[in-house]
Amino acid sequence: MKLANFLFKACLGTKGLKMQLLFSMFCLFAVQAGFSQQKITGSITDEQGVPIAGASVLEKNTANGVASDFDGNFEITTSRPNAVLVFSYLGFLAQEISVQGSATLNVVLKEDLQQLNEVVVIGYGTQKRADVTSSVATVKSENFVQGNVKDAAQLIQGKVAGLSVSAPSGDPTEGTQISLRGTSSILGGTNPLVLVDGVPGSLSTVAPEDIASIDVLKDGSATAIYGTRGTNGVIIITTKKGSNDMKSTIEYNGYASLSTIANRMDFLDANELRQKFSEGYTFNGANLQDYGASTDWVDEITRDAFSQVHNVIFRGGNSTSNMTASVNYRDIEGIFLKSNNEKYTARVSVNHAMFDNKLKTNVGVILSEQTYNALGDGYSFNPYIYRQAIIRNPTEPVYNEDGSWYERDVYFYDNPVAYIQETIGQNRYRNSRFDFSLSYDFGDHLTLKGLYTRKGNSNIRGFYQTKNHVSTTKNGQEGFASRGTDDYVGNYGQFTADYNNAFGKHRVTGLVGYNYEDNTNEGFYATNRRFPTDGFTYNNLGSGQGLQLGEAGMGSYKDSDKLIAFFSRVTYNYDDRYLLMASLRREGSSRFGEDYKWGNFPGISLGWRIDQESFADNWDWLSNLKLRTGFGVTGINAGSNYQSLSGLTYGTYFLNNGQWVRQLVPSRNANPNLRWEKKEEFNLGIDFGFLEGRINGAIDYYDRTTKDALYNYSVPTPPYFYGSIAANVAEIKNSGLEFLLNVTPVQTDNLQWTANLTYSTNTNKIVSLSNDEFQLTNDFFDEGYTGEPIQISTHRVQEGEPIGNFYGLKSVDITDDGIWIIERPDGTRVPATEATNDDRQVLGNGLPKAYYSWNNTVRYKNWDLMVNLRGALDYQILNFSRMFYENPTISYNTLDSAYDLVYGKAVLQDVQRFVSYYVEDGDFLKIDNVTLGYTLPKDAIKFAQTFRIYASGLNLATITGYKGIDPEVNRNGLAPGNDERDKYPSTRTFTLGINFTF
Amino acid sequence: MKSTINKVISLRLRIFTLAIGALFLQIGCTDLEEQVYSEVTESSFTPSESDIVSVMASAYTPLRFVMGWQGYFDLQEEPADMFVTPTRPNGWDDGGTYKRMHFHEWTETQWQPRNTWITCFNGINSTNRVILQIESGQLPVSEEQAKSIVAEMRALRALYYSMLVDTHGNVPIISSYSDELPVQSSRTEVYNFIVSELTAVIPDLSGTVDQSTYGRVTKWGALQVLARVYLNAEVYTGTAQWGKVIETCDQIINSGAFELSSSYSDIFSTNNDGNSELVFAIPYDQIFAPQWNAHMKMLTPDHRLVFGMQAQPWGGSSCNPQFINSYDPNDKRLSDTWLMGDQLNASDGSVVMTLVNEMPSIYGCEFTEGFRCGKYEIEPGATSGLSVDFPFLRYTDVLMMKAEALLRTDRSDEAAAIVTQVRMRSFDNLADATVTGAELEGDTTVEYGTLAEDGTIADPGDQSVVPYGRFLDELGWEFAAEARRRSDMIRFGVYQTKNWYNHTPKGDYTTLFPIGLEELNTNTNLTQNPGY
Repeated sequence: MKLANFLFKACLGTKGLKMQLLFSMFCLFAVQAGFSQQKITGSITDEQGVPIAGASVLEKNTANGVASDFDGNFEITTSRPNAVLVFSYLGFLAQEISVQGSATLNVVLKEDLQQLNEVVVIGYGTQKRADVTSSVATVKSENFVQGNVKDAAQLIQGKVAGLSVSAPSGDPTEGTQISLRGTSSILGGTNPLVLVDGVPGSLSTVAPEDIASIDVLKDGSATAIYGTRGTNGVIIITTKKGSNDMKSTIEYNGYASLSTIANRMDFLDANELRQKFSEGYTFNGANLQDYGASTDWVDEITRDAFSQVHNVIFRGGNSTSNMTASVNYRDIEGIFLKSNNEKYTARVSVNHAMFDNKLKTNVGVILSEQTYNALGDGYSFNPYIYRQAIIRNPTEPVYNEDGSWYERDVYFYDNPVAYIQETIGQNRYRNSRFDFSLSYDFGDHLTLKGLYTRKGNSNIRGFYQTKNHVSTTKNGQEGFASRGTDDYVGNYGQFTADYNNAFGKHRVTGLVGYNYEDNTNEGFYATNRRFPTDGFTYNNLGSGQGLQLGEAGMGSYKDSDKLIAFFSRVTYNYDDRYLLMASLRREGSSRFGEDYKWGNFPGISLGWRIDQESFADNWDWLSNLKLRTGFGVTGINAGSNYQSLSGLTYGTYFLNNGQWVRQLVPSRNANPNLRWEKKEEFNLGIDFGFLEGRINGAIDYYDRTTKDALYNYSVPTPPYFYGSIAANVAEIKNSGLEFLLNVTPVQTDNLQWTANLTYSTNTNKIVSLSNDEFQLTNDFFDEGYTGEPIQISTHRVQEGEPIGNFYGLKSVDITDDGIWIIERPDGTRVPATEATNDDRQVLGNGLPKAYYSWNNTVRYKNWDLMVNLRGALDYQILNFSRMFYENPTISYNTLDSAYDLVYGKAVLQDVQRFVSYYVEDGDFLKIDNVTLGYTLPKDAIKFAQTFRIYASGLNLATITGYKGIDPEVNRNGLAPGNDERDKYPSTRTFTLGINFTF
Repeated sequence: MKSTINKVISLRLRIFTLAIGALFLQIGCTDLEEQVYSEVTESSFTPSESDIVSVMASAYTPLRFVMGWQGYFDLQEEPADMFVTPTRPNGWDDGGTYKRMHFHEWTETQWQPRNTWITCFNGINSTNRVILQIESGQLPVSEEQAKSIVAEMRALRALYYSMLVDTHGNVPIISSYSDELPVQSSRTEVYNFIVSELTAVIPDLSGTVDQSTYGRVTKWGALQVLARVYLNAEVYTGTAQWGKVIETCDQIINSGAFELSSSYSDIFSTNNDGNSELVFAIPYDQIFAPQWNAHMKMLTPDHRLVFGMQAQPWGGSSCNPQFINSYDPNDKRLSDTWLMGDQLNASDGSVVMTLVNEMPSIYGCEFTEGFRCGKYEIEPGATSGLSVDFPFLRYTDVLMMKAEALLRTDRSDEAAAIVTQVRMRSFDNLADATVTGAELEGDTTVEYGTLAEDGTIADPGDQSVVPYGRFLDELGWEFAAEARRRSDMIRFGVYQTKNWYNHTPKGDYTTLFPIGLEELNTNTNLTQNPGY
């Protein structure tokens, strides 16, 4: 059975889901069920008595088998009277029952808590959990985070050790931020490769409600088969699918939610400002005087946001064809006025089999349309507006007496309500994806498969600032309009040949394949001013006079790139004890230099299932023990096209004989030696399970070294034309430990409590910033930027140091006059007015050294409760809001705390400065997701098979010493830990939802 | 039966293989050539005649950094005694950058000197690139054309070096476009290079002064650069070249190609192109070349109403009261250069604000404290890019260079005659305009010393007489805000010795800026300037 099972999984390729697998088995066995001697009927249920449809029933040591029907009933005719039947179903422990003449068997299958038979998607194929030799995590839909999630990544937030998922922005058009095993690349970012049903896509290609499971390939030996972009891990999204011979079902999943601002900063309100005036404080700029009103500016531009999501999935199939169709509608409101995101997604997938199921085809279509308001030119959230609401004098009214907007002439100071109401903007996106695949099974050993996908997305944007907007009332533009559009088309093709065979105790699989991908982007935009009326908004660009006056703008672009790869993989299993997987990918990218386009990415991993050894036979308490180790090389593609090409471009103007002509200059410092950035990763792991899997888990250690890391490296001018060049210079090391523990402390008929704990650490180090070609005299460069008026870098990237070091002045005290006292690196102290840039030092680090999570699921009869806690340890945040606004000398409204004594001594009287006082510890624990659900008893309603209602809260409570809005701030790039001043605040969301299936 | 099955299978195999093959054909196999759409690749580009100017343009356009953000203007004015950028209600501490400039406490990460280094070398790189393209025959030009373009590029290269020899001194001389890591030269070598290059190419340069040579380096522009370098020869090399200054200036004067503008303010107006005293201007334009934003830094936000501007200025820099106090009240250049007192709303004439000649401290000034520079015309509707062409080399400077050389070679009366000639357009009567040689030899009228918050002298510092100090004052009044005060102060020994506003002298080494950290970091051939 194991063998057959294995073979089928291998044959099914990436599409191999449990339903398909079962169906395939069914077909195989049904064919051979013709010669009968004894008929046995019965039913298969789980421990709760719920029928299991599609469970396999196999007569041992024969190929004779059937599958249970939709109500869990089966009927099998055995070849001999004393046959042994093997009952199995994915996620359940297989059971062998000797027939011994009985004609009826009612079988109760026990859930397999370790899920060793679970199918794991490993890239161009699947593997049984027990056979996996690399670090792969799987999360199934029943364990997803529930509620108003931003994208697929938030479904598995806190569920995978080593994968950090955060939602630093409350913007409904923004996704999550992910990082896996630290920051391995400087330019490559931390975004993993996302595959949606085997094709590169994004975390929002399909609706979260449409996802059946998410697999995360973590270590290099697993991701090497993906070569390109495998560095940051691979997230494989498998959608919900139909299976053959399944009853037609309709599954509805819908919810409504309410979002509020998670946390507000305490700025002076009108009464507090008046209090300050009466205390004798005088201010410049915004808070010059009392303007008589009492306005809560943040209230004026925010709201309680209501959102609704509806998802319907239709599934069904006959013996040769099945289909899945789903529609999804999300209408998400943001907490700021006019901030929203509305999206429709439809997906259809049809599977069709012919020639005794040897030829299989799949046709799939995913279409979506997304529309949202744009308060910035081309983007949803305009941070400037939020900033205006924070810094505005609370005694100013919103309107003048005549109903016009109340405005004052202060530097960078505009009425935020007016800004929102006088801006009209909309972005609309359309995405499409067409998949077509064909596979042919040549008997038991060889399957060929071809897949072609065409992807496209396009958007059109419109943006208008009316004549009542400050762009006109202060800057005389007489209306500003902008339109733009981008278009993307991509082709993706894949061809694979799968081979598998077994010789005695040896099992071998092989895979060879070819992969092609191209991407083409193009677009254009135009802007104009001086419109005769506001009536056209952005719909009549030509009516503006700005074009004639040289104030209009336009542009267009087009670029393309290609990726081509050949790959192969072998797995070998000896007696279920010794496991090997080896892969090699040879990949080429058009973005690299002529002689460096191709790179080789090998991966190898080994596993030893100790529990299968004969010496472990008596260890009854042990249900699983596997040691695994692997090594793999993955690559990062160059971030943008044409970096290796010498290009020329027409640039700024030059006055020649009374005419302005364009200058012609090199486009960039071309680097013909540009090549793959490569990451080598070693992984050592152990999987364990005790007490029939009630305690199980995994521990992994990884050590990754990124070589030839791409960076826009500073070069001398001359000889170079520009001051930087994209080059492979840096070396970065990351290492860490990951712990995963699943425990079922309570398991009775009525009550089940499972807990899932993860803990992961990461240590990061820049080993080198030079190579033979590019040498730095100093071993560092500075990154991050405070913005004006402070205008200094926030981070230093230095050899031998970790990424994310804050680098600035260390404040230790304050003078009686309220001037910072700075401690220099040599320990001496000077007032900040005398401190220089040489007095800066490392003030902390913005990347958490450890992440942890604790997820609990409790089921009591029909109730289920999920409580997810998560946190991060040992890192710092630069609190920009305090740095800018906790200062009474500025000419805008301030935080209440600006008037507190600093170090208990004096009120600050210094200019705004980046000093260590604003670098705070970020450690936190979040009660992130609590969901309470109730499933109606099966007999309570006739029309539905399942009916569940639930209530859920996201981002419920945060325990932290951090004084800002949310300690989960940007962790990407070279300046992590900057809690930017004007970022969209994170939200707290409450959701009520219903799922039911007809 | 079995064979039939096999046939069926092999047929299916063939169909399948065909289908897969078709897939391959459609998607191409291993071709990874990059396709370029919105730029041209150097290898496939054949320049036409109309591209020649475009190619040459890249050598000139970097010059627009002069009046750009933290450009050459800031480098020459912020460390000098005229412009101060104190902390204002809306900021302007900017990480202390302007205070470091005022205190002469810059380090190798200071942006303004780096910006000048980077931009000048960008220009030098481009001149070398053009020369290489001409000499290698990549550009379709006649031999005669080639000769004049190469001469012009070499002169322009020398012009960039004339800035670098003044700011950083010991810089690499790069005279070809190559991959080699540049090697540092001494300040004297750089000086000699400029002199020999200009001397060599001047005969080949065009002497035409009209629209076709406007904004281009002509014979006269090259001569004036040469005169400037001679004028500062003592600073650069230790050996003065006053005779050569006079000789070079006379070549320009005697050409008759230029004359003093009858109106001082015309030189700095929006439509100053073609002004009779412009020897070499850097053309700016609100639409085509909007890099001039120095006015945004100098005007207060409320000047938007005063000038009916479209953009709201940022409001940082104003004039050190000590310098304002040095003006003769009858000198019209005072009001031609500085915005003082009541500032009126352009639309209704109401008083928007009143500017006062007081600047309590670099650590804090109100918007209205300190007179603002209004020398360059602000047109109604002005944006953040001003359309005035910057008078990088103007005829008055030729006359004043000659006057200075005469003064320093004991011909002070001849010098006084020239200075009087220059002053005449700025005074209502001749008596006020007239200066004597003795006066010019005398001490400066600027009362140096650091200021207390109430504007009185807190620390007088070095009060020794400045030789020819009164002539330095004349340069200050005439060329205020023309991105040169620092060089003049160094030549007269004031920069490194006197106290002014909140500044105290830091030593001779400050006459050169440090080479940037990034530059040292990336070019191991470079050694830092002494003192840093």
